[in-house]
Amino acid sequence: MRMRFPCATLAMAAPSWEDSVKSLKGVILDMCGVLYDAGEDGGIPIPGSVEAVKRLRASHLKLRFCTNETQSTREKFVAKLTKMGFDISVSEVFSPAPAAVAILKERGLRPHLLVHDDVVPEFDSVEKTNPNCVVIGDAAEKFSYQNLNAAFRVLIGLEKPVLFSLGRGKYYKEDDGLNLDVGVYMKALEYACEIEAEVIGKPAPMFFQKVLDDMGIPSHEALMIGDDLVNDVGGAKECGMMGVQVRTGKYRPSDEKHPTVTADGYVANLAVAVDTILKLGGQ
Amino acid sequence: MATKKTLKVVLIDLSGTLHVEDSAVPGAQEALNRLRQASVAVKFVTNTTKECKRNLLARLLSLNFDIKEHEIFTSLTAARSLVEQRQLRPLLLVEDSALEDFSGLEVSEPNAVVIGLSPDHLNYHRMNTAFRLLLDGAPLIAIHKARYYMRTDGLALGPGPFVTGLEYAAGCQASVVGKPQKTFFLEALRDIDCSPEEALMIGDDAKADIGGAQNTGMLGILVRTGKYRLGDEGQINPSPYLTCDSFPQAVDHIIQHLLIHN
Repeated sequence: MRMRFPCATLAMAAPSWEDSVKSLKGVILDMCGVLYDAGEDGGIPIPGSVEAVKRLRASHLKLRFCTNETQSTREKFVAKLTKMGFDISVSEVFSPAPAAVAILKERGLRPHLLVHDDVVPEFDSVEKTNPNCVVIGDAAEKFSYQNLNAAFRVLIGLEKPVLFSLGRGKYYKEDDGLNLDVGVYMKALEYACEIEAEVIGKPAPMFFQKVLDDMGIPSHEALMIGDDLVNDVGGAKECGMMGVQVRTGKYRPSDEKHPTVTADGYVANLAVAVDTILKLGGQ
Repeated sequence: MATKKTLKVVLIDLSGTLHVEDSAVPGAQEALNRLRQASVAVKFVTNTTKECKRNLLARLLSLNFDIKEHEIFTSLTAARSLVEQRQLRPLLLVEDSALEDFSGLEVSEPNAVVIGLSPDHLNYHRMNTAFRLLLDGAPLIAIHKARYYMRTDGLALGPGPFVTGLEYAAGCQASVVGKPQKTFFLEALRDIDCSPEEALMIGDDAKADIGGAQNTGMLGILVRTGKYRLGDEGQINPSPYLTCDSFPQAVDHIIQHLLIHN
């Protein structure tokens, strides 16, 4: 027999993320907008972030980095961060292009690529002649009408059009303002061809799961810290992780009134988040 | 006792109805003359985003149609009207050949985005500029939202995909001004003193021409020329007031059944 409880008895406050810190086993950090901001010479570290990463690394917590960066290979990207003073290695970084390569090979797909020139090398091992799918990434200037039309023609000419989008972000922060991200062009091609893209990268659950598997911890013992409310925080929470939004990078005040995604916490920046984690986690 | 409706204006589609590419529909010029003699106002309506009125007029005149420039109402005109009504300063993502129809508008320090089919303008940099304006609250006006169209070298993206992308990026919704939007048809009637119920649309596109017009309260006559395909009349609800072979037969019907004669 099912018991019915009056609503009042269930109206307890949900535990805040600070309360849950003690049971944390791993932290996943978004990179652009959390560690650094785009700018001259590859980027400018966000104040306190270099130190914050060092402190996390020295703690008992497992640490991984999760980015939707598709404007360069992981090696080049990590080298850029090392130059900024960050202590990071390639094996700790999860990005969409390697994940896409694995999927393409698994499914015998040959991609027409509309991606940034600098990330093309990640696809070197994949057959590209006679394409039977399209992969789009953050191609920036390469998102010309002509290039989009070429991608569109590949899709519309396929009996079973398959479109992979490396992420589905709306915009990201550049030094002079916000710039259109891959999600915008994913939507454009979806509309043109009346199809739905498969997203590789945040916020796809499979992408987060790979990181959790690598850390060997269940989702409820992991915390994602990011500047993108929907793709970082929302995506992480969908998987059962905690998600905290930093007020740096592409953050906008309206994010804290989002109709569908509520972060477990909103903090000024990574340094403050790590302070909280280490203080309350008993470190 | 049945009384004849007082029809005050006939809206006539251009491509596919009066002409198909560079050939006039047989008998169309003469039918237009008969319609004019029947003392009903005429207006020519089209969804073009690439051609300014002057180019459209030149083609029609070369095919011996009796048409005046001020009688032509395009989706570009509709966009311009909306911009003027709302006193906006538009960023125009519109083909150079169509910019002429926006001349005279204030475009410095834009506070609105107008987007049409314009391969030259839909590059990343211009899209980004448009996006940043939209984020600031600028309204987005779309000439129309076609997914793609046929070019001589194959299918090509229409403005629709780019409008959809910007709507997603900025979390906004575009005001679409072309057929089959109600606003297009109402705007076409604005300078004629009549209600939609006193108007009739003749066109070859069941959904955009007839469906759109009837949705506004006008009558619609679907002609079997241009892009018409067998069974199109069944694609809209309610079905067209009348479906006939071509423009001259539509004019015959109007004169015999819909106009009061002295």
